[in-house]
Amino acid sequence: MIRRAVVNLCLFLFALSVIVPLLWVLMTAFKTGHEIFTSPWGLPHTPQWENFVRAWEEAGIARYFLNSLIVTLATLAILLPIGAMAAYVFARYPFRGAKWLFGAFLGGMMFPLFLTIVPLFFLLARLGMLDTLHGLTLVYVAYSLPFTVFVLTGFFQTLPQEMLEAALIDGCGHARAFWKVMLPLAKPGIIVVGVFNAIGLWNEYPLALVIMTSDERRTLPLGIANLLMVEQYQSDWGALFAGLVIVMLPVLLVYWLFRDRIHETMIAGALKG
Amino acid sequence: MASVTLKHLTKVFKNVVAVNDLNLEIKDKEFLVLVGPSGCGKTTALRMIAGLEEVTSGEIYIGDRLVNDVQPKDRDIAMVFQNYALYPHMTVYDNMAFALRMRKFPKAEIQRRVHEAAKLLGLEGLLDRKPKQLSGGQRQRVALGRAIVREPQVFLMDEPLSNLDAKLRVQTRAELIKLQRRLAVTTIYVTHDQVEAMTMGDRIAVIKDGVLQQVDTPLNIYHYPANMFVAGFIGTPPMNFLDVTLKRSGDDYYVDGGDFKLLLPKFAADKVQPWVDKQVVFGVRPEDIFDKALAPMTTAHDGNTLRAMVDVIEPMGAVVTVYLTLGTHQLVATIDADTKAKEGEELEIVLDMDKTHLFDRETQKAIY
Repeated sequence: MIRRAVVNLCLFLFALSVIVPLLWVLMTAFKTGHEIFTSPWGLPHTPQWENFVRAWEEAGIARYFLNSLIVTLATLAILLPIGAMAAYVFARYPFRGAKWLFGAFLGGMMFPLFLTIVPLFFLLARLGMLDTLHGLTLVYVAYSLPFTVFVLTGFFQTLPQEMLEAALIDGCGHARAFWKVMLPLAKPGIIVVGVFNAIGLWNEYPLALVIMTSDERRTLPLGIANLLMVEQYQSDWGALFAGLVIVMLPVLLVYWLFRDRIHETMIAGALKG
Repeated sequence: MASVTLKHLTKVFKNVVAVNDLNLEIKDKEFLVLVGPSGCGKTTALRMIAGLEEVTSGEIYIGDRLVNDVQPKDRDIAMVFQNYALYPHMTVYDNMAFALRMRKFPKAEIQRRVHEAAKLLGLEGLLDRKPKQLSGGQRQRVALGRAIVREPQVFLMDEPLSNLDAKLRVQTRAELIKLQRRLAVTTIYVTHDQVEAMTMGDRIAVIKDGVLQQVDTPLNIYHYPANMFVAGFIGTPPMNFLDVTLKRSGDDYYVDGGDFKLLLPKFAADKVQPWVDKQVVFGVRPEDIFDKALAPMTTAHDGNTLRAMVDVIEPMGAVVTVYLTLGTHQLVATIDADTKAKEGEELEIVLDMDKTHLFDRETQKAIY
C-alpha cells in the first residue's frame, strides 16, 4: 500500500516536471511582453494571438517550418524503405560477414557526432551540397540509418518464418515476399521508428547549424535559436514563446496520433500472428 | 495432378542427419501420410519437397520433372502450415486470392475460384474478416482454402490439425478426407499422431531417426509391421513385447518365457525355423488378448491360454484396459467391459495366436 503510494507520488512529481514547463510555455505564448515579467505565473489577461502571427510572419518561422517539414519528410521517405530492406536482410538471410556489417551499423550509433562534423562539412562542400535541403537530407538519412536498422532488425526477427515461407509457396520471389507480406507485417515497427526519427530530426540542431549557412534555408531549431538572439534585443518575448509552441506542436501531434502503436510496440515487441 | 518421387533423399544439418536416404514414390491422387515421433525428419522431408529446405543429396521429382533446384513458387505445390501462417493484414478473401494474384490470374477467375473454395469450406460469410477475427477451426479452413484455390499438383500438409481441440480435430479429419477424395489431388500429410495416420492415409510411411521404416496401407502396417518400432508406434495402447526363447517340439514351435509357453501358429513354421533355441521378442496387441470366459472366436487350449495377475483396471466404456503381470513380464490387454476381472486377482486370458508377431532381438525386424 505504502510502496504503491510512494511509486505514484514519484510518477506524479515526474509528470509535473514535464507538464508544468510545457504549460508555462503555452501560457506565456499568449502574454504581452510586459505581462510576462509582471505576472509570470498568472493567466494571460487577454490572449495575444498576434504573438503567433508575428512569430510566423515577421520572425520567419513559416519558412523554417517549411524547411524542417521538407527535410524531415524527405529523410523518412528515403530512410524507412532502405532501413527496412537492410534490417530485413540482417534478420532473415544470414550471410558471411553479416555480424561485422551489423556491428558497423551499431558502431554508427555509438560514434560521437561532433567528430564527424568537420569532415562532413568538407565532403558536402566538395559535392556542392553545402547549404542545400537535399544535402541535409542525405546527411540525416546516414545519421538515422544505424538506429533504424538496429530497431527494425529486432522487429523483423520476431515475425514468424512461416509467413515468409507461405508467401514463397504462394508465388512470391524473395523481393515480392518482402514488399507484399513481410513489410506490411512490420508496419507497427516501421511506424514507431518513423515517429522516433521524425521527432529526433525535427529537433536536430548541430548538423543543421554547420550545414545550413544561409538564413532562408534554416530549419526550425536553427530558426528558434536565431529568434532567441534577435528577440533578446527586441524584447519580443511573446513572439519567442509563440515560436516555441509552433515547434512543439507537430511533435506532440505525431506522438498523440501514434501513441497506441508506440506503447504497443514498446511493451513487448509484441505482435499478433 | 502428378506423382511425387523421392530418390535417395538426404538432408544433413551441420552434423545431424535429419533425413537419411529416403526413397518413396507417392502415386498420382494418393493420400500419403508421413508419420513418426517428433524430430524424426518427417517435416524436414516435407519442407524439402516444398523447396523450403535445400537438399543435401538425392532427387525430388514432381511428375517427371526434377525439382531440386526449382523455386518453391515454381513447383506447383500448395502447403498448409501447422500454425496456418495466414497473412494477418489481409482479409480471408485476399488471403485466398493472394497466390492467384501473384500468378496474374484474371480477376473474374480469381473471384470464381475463391467463392467456390469458400462455398466448399463454409467460409462464405467470412470473406471480409481478418484472420484474428476467426476461430481456430475457421483459420484452419482458410489455410485449406488458400491451398485449394491454387488447384496445385500436390498438397503438402504439416500437422494441420494439431492446433485444434480434440473434438474439432476428429470432425476436421473426416472433412479433410472427404475433400481430398473429391479434389483428387496428390497429398502428402505429415503427422505424429498415429490415429490420424491410420484413418486418413491411403498409405502410411513410418519414419524414425530420418530412416524410412515401412510404407504400406494402414491395415497392412497394422497387421504386418516390418519391425518392432512400427509395431509399437502404430496402435494404442501399444503392442506388448515379451522377451522369450523359441523352442521346437516335433512339428510345433513354441515361445518359452520361463513363466509361460505359447504355441506359434502353423503358418509361421517355415519362417521361424532358423531362430530355434534363440532369444526372440514375442509381440501381441492388447486387443488380441481376451478374457477366457468371454473369448469370442478363439477356442482356448493349453498353447494359447495364460494365467496372469490383474494389477490395474481402467474402464474405457465399451472396453477395459487391463494391466497384467505374468511372472517377470508385464502385459496390457483391452478386453470386453463385461469381464469379471478384479484388481489383485488372477485372470485367465486367451491370445489370438494368429495375430501375434515375432521379432529378431538384435535387428528388431519381424520374423513373421
